[in-house]
Amino acid sequence: MEERNLDKAIDILTKLMNGEEVGKSFDAALYESYSTNAEVYELVHRILRRMNIQLYEYHDSLYVTAGENNQVFGFTNGDLRKELGLKVNRELYMCYFIIYQIITCFYKDSAGYNFTEYIRIEDVITAVDASLSHIIDNLEILAENETEEHSFKTIALMWNELPAATEEAVRAAKNSKAGYVKLVFNFLVTQQLMAESQERYYLKEKAKAFIEHYFEDNKGRLYQIIKGEEQEDATY
Amino acid sequence: MGSVPHPFCVKGKELAMTEEYIMMQDMIQEHKERMDHLKKYYPFFKLADNDLMMWKEGKYSCLDMGYITLAVLRFFIDENSLKDKDVRYVEYEQFLHSVFVRDFQMELTKEEEKELCSYLFDKLLNEGKPFSFHYYDPKDHQKKSFRVKLLESKIVDSELYYYITPDAIEFYLDTKEIKEESSISVEQLLLSKLIAAQNFRGGIEVVKRINREVLKLKLKKNQILNLLSVDVFEGKQAYESYVGEITKWFQEEQRLFKKNTDLIAKALAKAESGRQGSENSHFYSILNDIYILEVELRKAMYQHSELLSLCTSMQQNVDDIVKKSKLSTLRNAFDFHHAMGRMMEQDNVDALEHLMIPLFGIKLKKNFNLFQIEDMIHLKAENDEDLELVSEGMEEDYIFEDELEEQRINNNFDAIAKVLLEFLLTRESFSLREFNSELKKVLGEGVLVNGDYYTFLIHMCQKEEYDVEEMKKKPETFFEEIIYKLLIRKTTYDGLAFRLVRKGEDTVKITDMLEISDIQFEKVDREWKREI
Repeated sequence: MEERNLDKAIDILTKLMNGEEVGKSFDAALYESYSTNAEVYELVHRILRRMNIQLYEYHDSLYVTAGENNQVFGFTNGDLRKELGLKVNRELYMCYFIIYQIITCFYKDSAGYNFTEYIRIEDVITAVDASLSHIIDNLEILAENETEEHSFKTIALMWNELPAATEEAVRAAKNSKAGYVKLVFNFLVTQQLMAESQERYYLKEKAKAFIEHYFEDNKGRLYQIIKGEEQEDATY
Repeated sequence: MGSVPHPFCVKGKELAMTEEYIMMQDMIQEHKERMDHLKKYYPFFKLADNDLMMWKEGKYSCLDMGYITLAVLRFFIDENSLKDKDVRYVEYEQFLHSVFVRDFQMELTKEEEKELCSYLFDKLLNEGKPFSFHYYDPKDHQKKSFRVKLLESKIVDSELYYYITPDAIEFYLDTKEIKEESSISVEQLLLSKLIAAQNFRGGIEVVKRINREVLKLKLKKNQILNLLSVDVFEGKQAYESYVGEITKWFQEEQRLFKKNTDLIAKALAKAESGRQGSENSHFYSILNDIYILEVELRKAMYQHSELLSLCTSMQQNVDDIVKKSKLSTLRNAFDFHHAMGRMMEQDNVDALEHLMIPLFGIKLKKNFNLFQIEDMIHLKAENDEDLELVSEGMEEDYIFEDELEEQRINNNFDAIAKVLLEFLLTRESFSLREFNSELKKVLGEGVLVNGDYYTFLIHMCQKEEYDVEEMKKKPETFFEEIIYKLLIRKTTYDGLAFRLVRKGEDTVKITDMLEISDIQFEKVDREWKREI
């Protein structure tokens, strides 16, 4: 192994771990060494594998995310509650649900981006409304019974009780549907997954890389989780 | 039925009030605008209603006034807008002559034709008066009227010329071209007329309409991309017609933009030259209108160019979508709607966590637990920590089935190879039949029905010549590795070399079930081989 190659691999890893991008248009020389030098490529992959970090290549750029149950680099529900300024898990699950709906605004399936250029807060509210509509229709019956914290009924109940918006200028807050969506958008912007301009939200390449690769590569396992067949330790 | 509000429902009342307000807005406030839009059609129907039955005892009742009106308007558009020249009465007569002959197969005398042309021209000009229509404006509570002319006249160098009005152009193009052609071009033709008539305010409105058209086309792009994501075939068709229309019109539109820019420049120069003759306030008002018109037109031109570059970038998007769609028909992707349906069906909200967390990248912010920081500051010893007991014991070796099998094969191969090499030491050459008898003698009758023996033969036949010295340096095949293991233990085989000669026709029958081709084993002189 050449020391020079090790240095390059470490440079790439340092940038990626600092949340910077390595790609043809960001750090062309480093990306070039990754894509053309087999040893650098091998080193980067080997180190990341040991650290349980996933590396995704998307449109000549590299992006990293924590692997499943990564205790050091992965987010826990607690971390995310703190980031989003939430107190309880049911609020966090509401945010997860909103993020999922944002994804469906851009993707029908993991095979391809549907080329929606941008979305607005109202688009997401419409998507969430539509997705929860059949549960909301039955809420009168459900409200009689006690709802569990971890259930779609709880999410539907919370969403249904929120006003669409409280004032003209939407603020990121938990007191309205628009506020919740804005809260989620702000978080996605700080995570560099989305970009905002004039209240229009655009999906960044990093988000596309994660969505397309993660759901594509793990679809078998994810379907098992969805069916409740794979019970994994919840991260709190 | 479902939209009728319940009388006691507050929300229903509000809704009904809103609906009523919208209806009133449409009926009353916008009535004038609707009538303004309708006015361009009025002269046509008024003219078409005239069936010429009453004139000259119905002699010309075969003529269709509607057709003649449209034909004359088209002739004026051609002359005025496309050839950029005004029309003399004689030219109008010549045009109508061709219409009578070609379309109605009429043979008229010169006098008759002159008379008919004059009659029709009077009708088209409404005997010099504008076509006027009266209506009631509910907003201002008063009767109003609009006035429209199809043709206008002017005197240049003591000669009378006729030209078509902007209303007539708009009417004519609205009958077909607006549906088929770019409305941007249509608006531009109108704009040219308005600038020529020094109606700059009207021009500003037209350019604003052009801007709205360009914006509409830009928005249509997103609609097509959305359609593509749902239905690739429909989307591709919509895309092709969209791009086809834009590129077809683009050059014409650009030419008209240029023409209008030139017209504005001329209007500006004219306004400057006429400054002395007019009042200051009037001059500045005109100048201001021209300026606004110019700015709006530049904006429109910029957006128009942007539209073309959008089309180009769209091509790449469409190619990507089509490619991905082709691929996705072949592979099974993660369907987001289906997955959400399953999660809701199972009420498995916890799955959301597993689906979402890996999308947030890596956690860059690190923080210590407050209690750990306190422990570090006070350097508290962990008194209550129990030591883990480690019991001593013997490590057990496990032998797995495949290891046992491997061991057996090695032993059998080793035994057979040893017999072979020993036999080679005693003889210069022997056949497989002889070798089998030797094997039976040394290892017993059962050796020939042992599966490992046949595997041994197969491995052996991979090469035709073997040299012990070569094997010692680097065993190349599995068979050579077996021999190599023997050579490490025993040196009597040093210098041994042999070759296998297959005899395809001779076969050796071993049992009733098995029969294999005979092989001749021949010792080879290594010295001789080296010389060769």
